[in-house]
Amino acid sequence: MSWAAIVFTFALVDNVVLSRLLGLPAAGQPGARPTPADHAADDPSIPDSLTSARSLPPGGREGARAAAVPAWWLGASMTVLMSISAVGAWLVNAWVLAPLGFTILRTPVMVFLVAGLALALQALARRVVPSMANRPEVSVPRLGVNCVALGLVLVTTRAEYGPLQSLLAGAAAGAGYYLVSAMMGAIRERLDIEQVPPALRGLPLQLITAGLMAYAFMAFDRAFLARLLGA
Amino acid sequence: MTDAGSGPIRPAAMREAPAVLLLLGFLPSVVVAVRVVDALWMAAGVLLVSIGSAVARSLLDWSSGSPGASTVGQTARWLRALVVSSLLTAAFEAALLAVAPAASAALGIYAPLVAVNLLAVGTDAASPRPLRAALGALHKGAWYAAGLVVVAFAREVLGAGTITLFPAGGFGGTIVVSALLDQPVRALGLAGGGLLCMGYLAAAVRAVSARKTGRST
Amino acid sequence: MSSARMAWLASLGLLPAAAWGLLLFGPPAAAVLVVSIAAAAACELAVTLPRHGYTLSDGSAFFTGALVALMMPPAVPLYVPAVASAFGILVVKQTFGGLGRNWMNPAMGGVVFSFLSWPGLMSRWAAPLGSAAAGAEVPPLEALRAALAASGPRDVTPLGVLGRAGYPFSPMDASAVGWVNSHVLAPLGAALPQGSFDILVGHVAGSIGATCVPLVVAGAALLLARGVIRWHLPVFYLGTFALLSLVFGGLGTGQGWFAGGPGFHLLSGNLVLAAFFAAPDPVTSPLTDTGRLALGIILGVLTFLLRFFGSLADGAAAAILLGNCISPLLDRWLERRKSRVMEREAA
Repeated sequence: MSWAAIVFTFALVDNVVLSRLLGLPAAGQPGARPTPADHAADDPSIPDSLTSARSLPPGGREGARAAAVPAWWLGASMTVLMSISAVGAWLVNAWVLAPLGFTILRTPVMVFLVAGLALALQALARRVVPSMANRPEVSVPRLGVNCVALGLVLVTTRAEYGPLQSLLAGAAAGAGYYLVSAMMGAIRERLDIEQVPPALRGLPLQLITAGLMAYAFMAFDRAFLARLLGA
Repeated sequence: MTDAGSGPIRPAAMREAPAVLLLLGFLPSVVVAVRVVDALWMAAGVLLVSIGSAVARSLLDWSSGSPGASTVGQTARWLRALVVSSLLTAAFEAALLAVAPAASAALGIYAPLVAVNLLAVGTDAASPRPLRAALGALHKGAWYAAGLVVVAFAREVLGAGTITLFPAGGFGGTIVVSALLDQPVRALGLAGGGLLCMGYLAAAVRAVSARKTGRST
Repeated sequence: MSSARMAWLASLGLLPAAAWGLLLFGPPAAAVLVVSIAAAAACELAVTLPRHGYTLSDGSAFFTGALVALMMPPAVPLYVPAVASAFGILVVKQTFGGLGRNWMNPAMGGVVFSFLSWPGLMSRWAAPLGSAAAGAEVPPLEALRAALAASGPRDVTPLGVLGRAGYPFSPMDASAVGWVNSHVLAPLGAALPQGSFDILVGHVAGSIGATCVPLVVAGAALLLARGVIRWHLPVFYLGTFALLSLVFGGLGTGQGWFAGGPGFHLLSGNLVLAAFFAAPDPVTSPLTDTGRLALGIILGVLTFLLRFFGSLADGAAAAILLGNCISPLLDRWLERRKSRVMEREAA
């Protein structure tokens, strides 16, 4: 695929959140259940709180209050993780697995690759941007386990992309993730939770919002891409 | 990272039903739940890997002589859980490719994702007795299977007008719902449809369990 | 003004376009309108009656049903608008808390749901009453796509392409255009292509309420005059679209730069109906005028891309959904920019 096609496909047509359904609970939303603290986090006097996202894996609850996590940090760390993972996966696949014929071990190898990279990035982030990285909610390993990066890696290795294509795919997917995450966070802030039927509050509403957004994104399909780039 | 292996801590304030929690953990696999048969294969994989993981971990705990988290560090537990589940997932993938290649193609990247989804859901501290661990995992897996099949059933019947099951004997595997086959509600078969179904299912389950106050989930 | 008043005024604004649609397409169109509104009302009642009591008097369910109907093709099976309205009211509106709390436009949500579910049925067009000619049931936009795809690019305007492809314009159009050309434009050396009268007046196939653009605009003028909607969004929406289609529209089809036929494209499809009655919905559009301006431009760009390169002949409804998604984010960005500017000034 051409570079423009890759960017468009991974960011919009096959958006990681809306099309592949990866990373949803963390994408601009609180965790599985709304707590009173979630509403507190909507307080506009909290500066720079773009979302009340918990970047925890769906089940990794700590019972702690939902902290305000800037959407740009979530998006940036996801993008970096995905890009590096995609390239790393290509390396491992091309130089280790394929020549040795161990493609059957692809799954465990990729899982550990992504987890390892996530840990490494976490350590790096602690050195470089300690104020952000030390928040437990945004620990990068959790993002790794959140399977977005792993899902992307599986897609790129199966499609047998080259190293630069993988890198671009990872970056585009991260951008798409950030876009959706920011949009969902902004929508969530606008909701009047008191009027929503109780059974629907929190997680169900988040899923339904994502579903409606996914329908909107159906406008970006492959035929559109083909005509846009071919013209 | 620290408690990924030690199980979920649930605030008493609100509890989700097990089906909802599990479905959330395996949310990506809803993409696959467009045909009943694919949902069944996915559920089979989850059951296999989760039961196997539970048994393996409890055996490892038993063999290392410790009943719980005391001697083994949290990071080590997490890594160990990762190893076990990813190896089991690889085994499942290989088996599926051999037995039902069409299903393997349909599941795509979502079969390998079972490995990490299992951890994401929050693996309970495995009981020291393998049998109990296996039963616990079976119980969770059954809830997951039920939820996924319900979603797949709704999406296939309304979205495609068919019900696809395993072919057996003379039965080709596809039941046709003739009233809907002509002009089904195709939007339900899309990713957005899966999310909508999941959202309403979660709300329904929550409403039902809220009505049964005092029942432990 | 209360939101009930606004909603009923909005429905009133739809009246001219709806009347023309009923005149043009007859009983099938009336059935679609009735079913759509009834379904919207029934769903709204079913949800709100147990909780808040009777809310139909706020007029918003009526408006949603009416707008859904006006975007439907006239010969569509009745369950399609029924499901579209139901989806819009139940999923898009009531799930999020009812009136004023939805982030997505209910009518557009329902219409796009129908497009995605029944793409074939959403093309069940009907010829305008009184046109028995073959091909008259195909709307000009779809016919243009077919003509361009079939025989490659032509060095003429969209109406010219249609004319060469033999699109059946009405006899009234022939005489009207002929008169204007000979008496008004000939001295100036210009000429209107055949079909100009038909698409201006809306005597063509299309969605029930979208064919006669002047009537849509007339109804919208009421809303603008009474302050139900602000002018920024529709004007920048249509303006951006017109500019882009003028400059770039001809490129994909080989007519070159500045040859996209903006007049034709503004007068075809659901664009103007959507731009005045769906996009500037006070509930889902940005809170500031700057935001509305920005969203108008974004919608214009999106609709241009979707119409000229997208899979559906008309991309307005899908573009509006995308606009709904991004509108809260726009608000947030603008607010933060504003507060930063204020901080700087205070310092």
